[in-house]
Amino acid sequence: MAQNLEREKLIGMYRKMLEIRLFEEKVFELYGQNLVPGTIHLYAGQEAIAVGVCSNLGKDDYITSTHRGHGHCIAKGADLKRTMAEILGKETGYCKGKGGSMHIADFNIGMLGATAVVGAGLPIAVGAGLSIKLRKTDQIVACFFGEGASNQGTFHESINLASTWKLPVIFVCENNLYAMGTRQSIAMNVENIADRAVAYGIPGVVVDGNDVLAVYEAVQKGVERAKKGEGPTLIECKTYRQKGHSRVDPAKYRPKGEVEEWLARDPIKRLKEKLLQTNTLTKTEIQRIEKEVVTKIEEAVKFAIESPYPSSEEALEDVYA
Amino acid sequence: MRKITYREALREALREEMRRDPSVFLLGEDIGRYWGGAFKVTDGLAEEFGDERVRDTPISESAIIGTAVGAAITGMRPVAEIMFGDLTALAMDQIANQAAKICYMFGGQAKCPLVIRTPFGAGVNIASHHSQSLEAWFMHVPGINVAVPSTPNDAKGLLKTAIRGENPVFFCEHKLLYPIEGEVPEEEYTIPFGVADVKREGADVTIVATLFMVHKALNAAAHLEKEDISVEVVDPRTLTPLDKQAMMKSVKKTGRIVVVSEDCKTAGVSAEIAAIIAEEAIDYLDAPIKRVAEPDTPIPFSPPLERYVIPDEKAIIKAVKEIA
Amino acid sequence: MVTTVVMPRLSLTMKEGTVGKWYKKEGDNVEKGEPIAEVISEKATYDLEAPAAGILRKIMVEEGVDALVNAVLAVITAPDEKLETEIAFEAPQAVKETEKVLASPAAKRLAREYEIDISIVKGSGPEGRIVEEDVRRFVEQSQMISPKVKETIPLSGFRKTSADRVSTSFRTAPHSTIMMEVNVSEATELHKKLEVSYTAIIVKAVAKALLEHPILNSTLDGSEIKLFEDVNIGIAVATNYGLVVPVIKNADKKSLKEIETSIKELSEKARGGKLTKDEVAGGTFTITNLGMYGVDFFTPIINPPEGAILGVGRITQKPIIVDGKIEAELVMILSLSYDHRVVDGAPAAEFLRNVKGKIEKTLDSEV
Repeated sequence: MAQNLEREKLIGMYRKMLEIRLFEEKVFELYGQNLVPGTIHLYAGQEAIAVGVCSNLGKDDYITSTHRGHGHCIAKGADLKRTMAEILGKETGYCKGKGGSMHIADFNIGMLGATAVVGAGLPIAVGAGLSIKLRKTDQIVACFFGEGASNQGTFHESINLASTWKLPVIFVCENNLYAMGTRQSIAMNVENIADRAVAYGIPGVVVDGNDVLAVYEAVQKGVERAKKGEGPTLIECKTYRQKGHSRVDPAKYRPKGEVEEWLARDPIKRLKEKLLQTNTLTKTEIQRIEKEVVTKIEEAVKFAIESPYPSSEEALEDVYA
Repeated sequence: MRKITYREALREALREEMRRDPSVFLLGEDIGRYWGGAFKVTDGLAEEFGDERVRDTPISESAIIGTAVGAAITGMRPVAEIMFGDLTALAMDQIANQAAKICYMFGGQAKCPLVIRTPFGAGVNIASHHSQSLEAWFMHVPGINVAVPSTPNDAKGLLKTAIRGENPVFFCEHKLLYPIEGEVPEEEYTIPFGVADVKREGADVTIVATLFMVHKALNAAAHLEKEDISVEVVDPRTLTPLDKQAMMKSVKKTGRIVVVSEDCKTAGVSAEIAAIIAEEAIDYLDAPIKRVAEPDTPIPFSPPLERYVIPDEKAIIKAVKEIA
Repeated sequence: MVTTVVMPRLSLTMKEGTVGKWYKKEGDNVEKGEPIAEVISEKATYDLEAPAAGILRKIMVEEGVDALVNAVLAVITAPDEKLETEIAFEAPQAVKETEKVLASPAAKRLAREYEIDISIVKGSGPEGRIVEEDVRRFVEQSQMISPKVKETIPLSGFRKTSADRVSTSFRTAPHSTIMMEVNVSEATELHKKLEVSYTAIIVKAVAKALLEHPILNSTLDGSEIKLFEDVNIGIAVATNYGLVVPVIKNADKKSLKEIETSIKELSEKARGGKLTKDEVAGGTFTITNLGMYGVDFFTPIINPPEGAILGVGRITQKPIIVDGKIEAELVMILSLSYDHRVVDGAPAAEFLRNVKGKIEKTLDSEV
């Protein structure tokens, strides 16, 4: 499969995944220095999904995101500086400091915003899909949500609606095994979320969410189906949240060995090995990319830290358009 | 001037706006060609605009509103119908957390020009799940406008403004208003939000009322006139934004106010209006502020029980006389 | 019949008053309208008049005691009448702190606006609550006591200066005014012949007379009377913006024609508001003419710091006995006000007679 992809595309995926990982590590670090207000939900470990999905999308295509959304933003092409500034609550952030870590949006790149209510993004994605259908464009919507959200009514209502109306939506379930501290088996009696697709008459696909190329390929099929007007696809990406639910969560509820097992399947490490094995990239080239990404993130951090906080009066703006 | 019903006025507004702007479309349960809306507001529109733009949905209130939100932020102007106001509870997250906050939360990047139409109100014996008046819920959420038209004229003008606006609008209708007839101009017009209408001028007591209660207030005023009590009836027409100045102007004239609202008294529409008057116009009051509202109970089924809880002319007259 | 004497409301804001003095004692006869007591309010002292004739039967509030407005101070009865229900007229206590008044917010606001103590307003609302209408009615009734003001004109600018000057003059200089009738038949001929105004003729006559009576051309400066060498005659001119007094400098050295020209110029400038500071300064004596308004004579106020002022009345035909025969003659009355600190009646009268003589013999004098 890797062989079918252009070299540049593969390198781009690697670069993006690395950007997300190092960005998140930096956020983690800044949080420790009390520079990040509130809380943070890190995407580390799930990079292959955001990148695998977004590599199928153009600038005009839409995504909807969740409280764990930094990775989705970066994968869709958001500016690291403005993303970091928003996380720090700065005036230069995407939302002028009014959204923060859980509510980043960039409507210029089709990033329709992160909602922090679990499951709330699904019907919004369906609405964007309906909008595409009514406007008769060939855009696509990718809707990110976790396995926890699949227990919300909106999951069922939304997929039913998208299926009935044959809307161009890819429902991307990032199954990282835990909804906060609740293990999947405690909250549902099915192993695969994708199996629920049967109920709505659409394909449900399970993929290795730590394999960016597997995700890429599954989504590609979903996009083709959507563009033919055949409706949505539910893609369940099995993955793992390398950190706790939020910054304050030591994640002690995880069984021994589970983290190590998943760290061994780290998506970035796997892609890097693949790129080396297939001689797509040399070690030197990889080192150069890593250095570039580090510099880019340092610049984003500098920009965010040096940016001013918004003026107090900003709190009263934008309540109405 | 020609007279049409409230229902026809709403339908005209929808039809005219759909003809004017192809991004306007309707969605909701049973609004399409098979039923034409539970209260027949959308009757005949599917025939003119097709099933794509007059879209029957499954019984999924949350998805109806969520879908409308998604469409609104990507360039469409959806008008969603929730069959009964009570059922908006099912879509509350999408209304209060998503639609209302998208503009703000994302720093003004997005607009959410969405209209949610729904009928409130008791009086037709359909009990606790189909009779409530929940306008105040939506007044409490910043980021949504709340319209409460009481006449065919206001219904049409306000709905057109709602559809053309850039913000989410919660458009409250009332079951008993649908068959009411009133004068509606044939020519194009809109009614701005935040501009109250004095439905009757008077000198002694101000009544602020909305929706169906406007009509009861007018009946009460006509009765009170025979007893030499001159009542002014002010209809805010939108609760958000609320035309405080108009209410204040009337209170400065009369020095007395009765707020009439069909919703429950506690933390309701009447509570908010009374608070505003107390806060900003107390120096013009000659008597305590009176509220006529529903007691804090669900709406009962049996006709005598239901009649008991809905504010009526008698209750309004009594309240006015207590302070006149 | 029993009539109560109550503490009157003597001003809009009056809440209580003090009985300063009883002019009558219990048992005295009183006439209706006769002052029976002195009442002191926050602003002034008034005589309280008996509201009815009869016997001052009982005094309820002693001298020096405060009482609320409307409190009963005394009772007047018919001479043979006995006061049976004394208890009904219990003497009011000295003013107590008012209790919490039941009044609507609107009533309170209006009371604030009119600076009325709301506790003295009678309430007509539920449970006696004072409502806005009660305050409004109270204000209307109160305004029947104090005359209703139609318009308020601030005393400022020109009006204020003028007010200050006349009051200074009137307060500091003891004024005395003497009047004298003058036959102006000859002056009238001159007036027609030379086309000069009566004012010019009078100015000329006054200027010459002042040279002969320098005490009238003077000022009192502290403990000194200063006699002026210059004879500078001010002419009072009424303008739209008030009274101004331009000055004809060295009038004694000017010809009648020159005086006439000066008067015309200065009056015109005065009416146009174009007088310079110099043109209104340096006066030693002023002439004010109200003849054109039909005034016969008046008591002008000296233009400070001058020593005297001459008021000119209207010219009118009067039957005058000349050589035993009644003739119709043109006459006018001159009114001379002078500062009695500077000059006494006799020298003032001599001066005025001199002026009279000069005007009556105008044709003889050098013009």
